[in-house]
Amino acid sequence: MTSIDLGLAGISLGAIAALSGIGLLVTYRTNGVLNLAQGGIATLVAYVFREMVVEWGLPIWLAAVLALGVLSPGIGLLLERLVFRPLARRRASAAESLVASLGVLVLILGITAGLWGLGSRSDAPSIFPADSVRLFGQTRIGVDALAELAMVVVFAIVIGLISARTSFGRQIRAVVDDRQLAELSGVPADRVAAAGWAAGTTLAGLTGVLLAPRFQLNPYGLTLLVLETFAVVVAARLSSMPVAVLTALGISILQSELRQFTLDGDAGQILTVLQSNLFIVALLILLLAVPKLRELGGGDSGATSSFSSRGAPPSGRVGEARYRRDYLGKLGGFALLLAPLTFAPSDLRSAFQVPALALIFLSMVIVTGYSGQISLGVAGFAGLGALLSLKLANGELFGLPALPGIWAMLVGALLVAPVGLITGYPAIRRRGLTLALTTFAVGAVVSRFVFEQPTFASGLYIDPLTVFGHALSDKAFYILELLSLGLGLLVVRNLHHGRLGRALLAVRDHSSGAAAVGVDVRNLKLLAFTVSSVVAGLGGALLVHSSYSFAADDFAPLQSLLWFTAVVVFGADSAIGAIVAAAFIVTIDVLAPAGTSTLAIGILALALGWMPGGLASAVRGVLRLLAQYLADSFVDPNQRAPRPVPVRISAVGHLPATAGIVGNTGLPGIGATLGAARSGHVTRWPLSEGALGPLAGAPAPTPFGAALVAAVARYAAAQADQVTRVSGSTNGSGSDGALVGSAAATGSAPAAGTAARPSTASGTGMGAGSGAGTGVRR
Amino acid sequence: MTSVTAELELSGARAGYGTIEVLHGIDLALPAGKVTALLGTNGAGKSTTLRVLAGLIPLRSGALTWRGEDITRMSTVDRARRGLMLVPDERAVFATLSVRDNLQIIAEASGHPDISPALESFPRLKERLSQRAGSMSGGERRMLALARALLARPSVLMVDELSLGLSPKIAADLFGWLATVAASGTTVLLADQYTEQALAMADLVYVLHRGERSFLGAPAEFATYTATATTASV
Repeated sequence: MTSIDLGLAGISLGAIAALSGIGLLVTYRTNGVLNLAQGGIATLVAYVFREMVVEWGLPIWLAAVLALGVLSPGIGLLLERLVFRPLARRRASAAESLVASLGVLVLILGITAGLWGLGSRSDAPSIFPADSVRLFGQTRIGVDALAELAMVVVFAIVIGLISARTSFGRQIRAVVDDRQLAELSGVPADRVAAAGWAAGTTLAGLTGVLLAPRFQLNPYGLTLLVLETFAVVVAARLSSMPVAVLTALGISILQSELRQFTLDGDAGQILTVLQSNLFIVALLILLLAVPKLRELGGGDSGATSSFSSRGAPPSGRVGEARYRRDYLGKLGGFALLLAPLTFAPSDLRSAFQVPALALIFLSMVIVTGYSGQISLGVAGFAGLGALLSLKLANGELFGLPALPGIWAMLVGALLVAPVGLITGYPAIRRRGLTLALTTFAVGAVVSRFVFEQPTFASGLYIDPLTVFGHALSDKAFYILELLSLGLGLLVVRNLHHGRLGRALLAVRDHSSGAAAVGVDVRNLKLLAFTVSSVVAGLGGALLVHSSYSFAADDFAPLQSLLWFTAVVVFGADSAIGAIVAAAFIVTIDVLAPAGTSTLAIGILALALGWMPGGLASAVRGVLRLLAQYLADSFVDPNQRAPRPVPVRISAVGHLPATAGIVGNTGLPGIGATLGAARSGHVTRWPLSEGALGPLAGAPAPTPFGAALVAAVARYAAAQADQVTRVSGSTNGSGSDGALVGSAAATGSAPAAGTAARPSTASGTGMGAGSGAGTGVRR
Repeated sequence: MTSVTAELELSGARAGYGTIEVLHGIDLALPAGKVTALLGTNGAGKSTTLRVLAGLIPLRSGALTWRGEDITRMSTVDRARRGLMLVPDERAVFATLSVRDNLQIIAEASGHPDISPALESFPRLKERLSQRAGSMSGGERRMLALARALLARPSVLMVDELSLGLSPKIAADLFGWLATVAASGTTVLLADQYTEQALAMADLVYVLHRGERSFLGAPAEFATYTATATTASV
């Protein structure tokens, strides 16, 4: 094939990537959400399209209309209404939206895997005939490529025109800038946002339907393929559509052109990988090279503290009772973790994965929960830890002698540290979206260039671990895992307590603020990344030993997304949450069909809107209520210790805490209106004489307070007398007596110095008609 | 004296954020074509009241009527389109949009797509039409916010903290402009801390304290009230 032919062959894929990029940009520029679920939606639509054509036998055009005209926009509208509108309403941070879209991704992956299984299908129908058109000479171009290119051009122009030339485009910019202000200006923000979502998901669906016949239809594979097109929107810095389209075509054509070269040796191997993975490499390079993404909303996407439920633990000595309770809780948890030792051998082996996974999750607690950085590449670290420890044990690493298995595991995990450190460097200046994508790209590159390469990842054999020459039994291995987990928990504990813990949390909650008070933000972030990568590496090493094999799929880039979501769901800053999450996933995976745990995590992730801080804080809240209830039911109500009441700070300024002085409005009509309103709503507005009267339990003034009130009353009466004369002359309507009442209106509460709100005691009746509305409350 | 009808009436309004109730049953009536001042310290519930009136926060109990029609459940967008305009205290302009777009959006949404009245009222904006609103000074942004409200031709104009962060001169200018708007028959609600200008303009004064109404009366009476209050708190 000539260069031209190769280039033309690249056009089709490039056009699809461009469509995906346009879809991402449309969603982002209309809603401020970088839709990580794009890949999942594409996959789901592709599966449904295939189902309609292959299984139901619908004609292709009808299936295409249903999939792209009904299903895809429908998904977008549903997501907008149920997931993202509530987030936008409470002005959630971009990080929260990012996690919500991750939740959607995980949920859709779960649905797809649950419905159609994890296997690959190669019979996905194409909407275009497998025909080609002669351009010149022998050079031909496929009909699909032409059609896709035409679609890109049409979409780009139409969307460009809408956003630049129409008032709808202006409304979109207004809604993205400030949704609330847009509504206050009469712009139907919900409709604008919904339109953006529908357009975005339609393009996602189109991407899926077009991609599926070129590759195998497989839930994870296709999703990842779409995620790789994020390179395109990063190049566009999240804003420029032409740049996105050109980048997509450029990368794809370059990738295609690479096929005409072959090299020998290691370079040749790298080239081979590049020939099919240029997008992911481009994503990483672009993320490191592009100065700054044009994030919407001032780029506050780093605020991850909303996933976290707690601040730093108190410094100094903890109370005895609290200490004892913590101790008990930990003992209980430990006992539960020991339980698998009593299981049947096969069940025990299933349980092997729990501590390993828990360690991986702990590593994310360190990075996300404690230092507030979104890291989506943990599977890369875990896989590296696994791979390095196996290589060490096999004596294949840089000619080092073979180490005994356990030592190999520890050393292998430590060897991940430099990788963590290097990944941490971009994290120093990046937050939120950029960091999330960067770590994802690192994980993906490691997966493609290391885990999936035979040079690194084949021919590894896993020796049973030995201690002093004795092979470890299953039980002994499980105990070893628990010891490792204990080690991880110790690390986490040291990171969370004391000076270091407070400094990390300060970085998480407000990194510039932390820097301002002298916290070394830079090194702390690096430390968090490095330690986290080592913990993840140890977890990965254990995971491999527990499943007796190294499979690249176990450490695929999408795993990172799933794991991250799980950690956030179970409480990003909760070490216990990490262990529970691991147990939850492993248990469901063992008991239920594939994809169920993914589905469950996805559902829980979407429920995050209702339980900020994750399950951990929800459980803590429920436990607190339960304890309160139990305590209340066992203690005689009269003997209860006074519960701390949130004290409202009394107003500073020249207004005392008096409530309900009503003077002369000077507007006869208003007086009448209010009077009517009052007589109509006596219960709600108890101002008439009958409804009032001294309430039981009203605080009695102290002698000093009573004296003060009397003094004030005398003074106010004198003042009111003056004003009555003044207002009487200006308004010309009689309002005598209106203010006499206000003399007695001073509440006793402020004088008595308590925080209680003054209660109503007396009032005069309302004058309806043209008379001035008067009344006294205190 | 002719009788005045209430344009907007809030009764028994309870509202808040999350588990915290901010308004503990507020009654409020805005006389049509008059200026009402809503005063109170920080945290008294002024902004919350305005947000309730604009429909940004749902009422937990109580009702809101507009010229006799119950609009408790009406959406923010519909209220804005029908002339109930709130100028919030912060983020009152689209910072990333040009001044022209800022004006055009509201002009189109309210069905009067001509932006020239705003430029006549605030000639300074004419020089800045293509500038990003976020890059203007605080006073100019406030001006733009008011100019936007003007374009919507509101029947009720609610302004939150007009003088916040402005130099006295600019604040005086804006209050002067607001007075002309009020004189043309627009019902105005001014939420503010205790500023002289607001009191000078107002026909009716409400004082909120800790989410409850603590005073209702004419501005002249308010002077007495504060005098009383000052003594009481001493």
